Amino acid sequence: MKRNKMISLVLSAVLLLAVLAGCGEAESSSKGGEVSSAVQTEDTSLKGSTLNLFTWEGMFPQEVLDGFTEETGVKINYVNFDFDETMLAKLEAAGGGDYDLVIADDYIIETAISEDLVQKLDPSKLSNYKSINPVYQGQFFDPEDEYTVPYGAGVQTIVYDPSLVDLEITGYADLWDKSLEDSVGIIASSRVIDGMALKVLGESYNTEDISKIEAAGQKLLELAPNIRLIKDDNTQDDLLSGEISAAVMYTSQVTMAKMQNPELKVVFPKEGIGFGIMAQFIPSNAPNAEAAYLFMDYILRPEISAKCYEFLGYYCTNKDADALISEEYREFLTLPEDFKAEKMEMIENISAEALEAHEKVWTAFKSACE
Amino acid sequence: MKNRTKLPNVYLGVLLFLMYVPIFLVILYSFNESKLSSVWSGFSLKWYTELFRDRAIFEALGNTLILGVISSLSAGVIGTLGAFGMTKVNFKTKSAVEYVSTLPIMIPEIILGMVFMAFFSLLGLPFGMTTLILAHTAFCIPYVYMLVKARLVGMDKSLAEAALDLGASPLRVFFDITLPLLLPAIVSGMLLAFAMSIDDVIISVFVTGVNTNTLPLKIYTQLKTGVTPKINALCTLMFAATLLLCGFAAFLGRTPKHKKQEPESGRAGR
Amino acid sequence: MSGNREKKKRRLRGEALTVLPLYVFTLLFVLGPIVYMIVLSFLTRAETWGVLPEFTLQNYKNIAEPVYLETFWESIKLALTSTVLVILIGYPFGYFMAKLTAKWKKRTMMLLMIPFWTSSLIRLYGWIIIFRAGGILDKLLMALHVTEKSVKILYTYPAVVVGMVYALLPFMIFAVYSSAEKLDFSLVEAARDLGASPMKAFLTVSLKLTLPGLLSGVVLTFVPSMGLFFIADILGGNKVVLVGNLIQEQLMKTHNWPFAAALSVALLALTSLFMFLYRKLSGVKDLEGLV
Repeated sequence: MKRNKMISLVLSAVLLLAVLAGCGEAESSSKGGEVSSAVQTEDTSLKGSTLNLFTWEGMFPQEVLDGFTEETGVKINYVNFDFDETMLAKLEAAGGGDYDLVIADDYIIETAISEDLVQKLDPSKLSNYKSINPVYQGQFFDPEDEYTVPYGAGVQTIVYDPSLVDLEITGYADLWDKSLEDSVGIIASSRVIDGMALKVLGESYNTEDISKIEAAGQKLLELAPNIRLIKDDNTQDDLLSGEISAAVMYTSQVTMAKMQNPELKVVFPKEGIGFGIMAQFIPSNAPNAEAAYLFMDYILRPEISAKCYEFLGYYCTNKDADALISEEYREFLTLPEDFKAEKMEMIENISAEALEAHEKVWTAFKSACE
Repeated sequence: MKNRTKLPNVYLGVLLFLMYVPIFLVILYSFNESKLSSVWSGFSLKWYTELFRDRAIFEALGNTLILGVISSLSAGVIGTLGAFGMTKVNFKTKSAVEYVSTLPIMIPEIILGMVFMAFFSLLGLPFGMTTLILAHTAFCIPYVYMLVKARLVGMDKSLAEAALDLGASPLRVFFDITLPLLLPAIVSGMLLAFAMSIDDVIISVFVTGVNTNTLPLKIYTQLKTGVTPKINALCTLMFAATLLLCGFAAFLGRTPKHKKQEPESGRAGR
Repeated sequence: MSGNREKKKRRLRGEALTVLPLYVFTLLFVLGPIVYMIVLSFLTRAETWGVLPEFTLQNYKNIAEPVYLETFWESIKLALTSTVLVILIGYPFGYFMAKLTAKWKKRTMMLLMIPFWTSSLIRLYGWIIIFRAGGILDKLLMALHVTEKSVKILYTYPAVVVGMVYALLPFMIFAVYSSAEKLDFSLVEAARDLGASPMKAFLTVSLKLTLPGLLSGVVLTFVPSMGLFFIADILGGNKVVLVGNLIQEQLMKTHNWPFAAALSVALLALTSLFMFLYRKLSGVKDLEGLV
């Protein structure tokens, strides 16, 4: 009996120590970043190896993945995460190892780089590097293009069904219209939706001014009666089934919705447009970085790229692939020509304090919708 | 005399039927030609061919089954022994350990998954089947433990005591008397545990490794990009397989059962 | 005499061995992570990602914000609603099931289990097919001329309640069943023969004897329902904000792990309190230690 107590005491002491050690680890683990991929030997040695590709589900058509394996002999292990944050947490738990190539959203990549979980790219290993559309390069998360290669970009747009909506929607402010009661669907992201209210008030997505964020929260409370659903996935289904008559959606969803129902109207909100980029990076301790280069180069080939973007439904970040995209998809996968760059703004990382203010405002808003 | 009314059975039937309605709909829509579940555009088997082309799904299925069987079995052993032993021993730490062991179902899965991940990473365990099994066993134990415990409470102890007094070894008493009496609870606890394990997403997301995708994870991540009837087709197959398995088990267990048991049908398990 | 004591001692040692696996596993793999969580709840968040090893009580102070307190209230409300409904629906089911013949018990058990061996997410999508505009329910109601327009039940509170009850029902049924199954129904018959009304016979005999099962059923339904967030997401369109949803947001969107940990500790304390009160109020003595 006593021994039992002893054991539990000792165990909890050990655990406590371990926990504390773990907290200190955050600083000490920063050495990982410099470990370079020394493997310079060419392709043949990669045959039979495995590429652990870590990204969302549905980022590549199966034929592209199969084609890569057929050509190079490298097997692809397609591993999925649900949120960017899960990816980073797992990558951190694995010490920047386990995974060879990651595709994720811009802001999380900035964090991953600052946590030393990303290795610098060697563009000379990418023969198709020049195909990258420079519009999507040099952004906040990787200003010198040292770490990433973009793979798809998107904006948040309003889509509505004109047969169900009486007014002509031109911007976010119209979503506040009384006639849209209980019929609007929005994205489940505090930054995007609070940001939408910020835009209506003429502010930036990235303001760190708490009072402005709170003002946006007040504005949002007025929107609450109009909200029917808040979600990230498959909002297009609800728009198509008539569950909602207007929605704020991501580009891929817009593509899917329009392909299904061409009558739908797509609006680039006049207040400003939230813009995001997905990009590929190689983790600091990737076990098979060479295979990652091989794959990046492979999907940068214009003909492969075109296939990928038609499947993905996001804006094509490969300028040489633009021309190869089939007619029916072209208008959705390339930026509209009358698109004004100054209207666009990326959602960047902001201070913890501002983020917490967003979260509070967002929770109050969601509760008010019910 | 015994069945004063058929009403209870009608109730059971209706409720069971209602439980199956969502599943029947999922099955129905697996044959839908359209990708969208909001439109019915005709009968098609194309989602099944698409499903069979996806090798990763079958790999994930294998992982899921291995994981479910191992964790529900270990939870079954640990939980049953624990619940039984707890009624016998008199440690001071008893109620505390009991409380802690049921915590995994009292804490939201998402935070549990996160702390499991952080904890395993501290211990230096490589992420994969081991971490999955540990985490799953941890949240499976409470189900077995609580059901077994509920049955132990107020169970007639005289039989076991009599056997002990007559000189039977405790081991023998446990296996011959206590275990059979506990069996219904153990079985339902393990069935629940198995069901929880093969359905778990949130905890698995955090503790899985590079090569151990599980089916629920696959479904979950696929649902994020769109509910394609491919997933419906997968569920239909799973459902059919479960039915087949159950039917097979029932068929196997049929003949000997009739002879051995139930002279008095109402309470075979007592 | 002494031989008997010797035997008893051996037996005790043997019995101590039976709890060993539970002790070891619990202390290592349950207590460990939970201690980690509790420690985490007192630490400071780092500016962008991760945690700083600095002690703070701020995370607990944050919970007192009205916005966040409301999510606790919302969770309790939903958990209570669903638990009551689950008892009302599940208790009779488990009870009646225990009265079936052995053959039918097995079959019912199987039938009950099969749905739960298919993905719960998919089953939720089954409910979407039923509830959505122009869905099965709409068509049914319109065919019966109950309503002319779509009833718009998807993404509402009732839809969430249905989803919760559906997900939690089997736990109650199994718990009630496993304790009702050992009930000697001849006692009930005897009470009735002695002139007790069916109600009275049920209350004095059956209910009392199946209370342990009911109680563990309540634990198995009420407790998890406090932390579920999937159902509120999928069937409620994210508009019903529960503590589970809040924790998820804090982990996944705000990267405020210490706050998420503090919320979890608070939730844990709350559920433990509920269980404690419940046990006291229900006054069942021999259930001591059941959670």
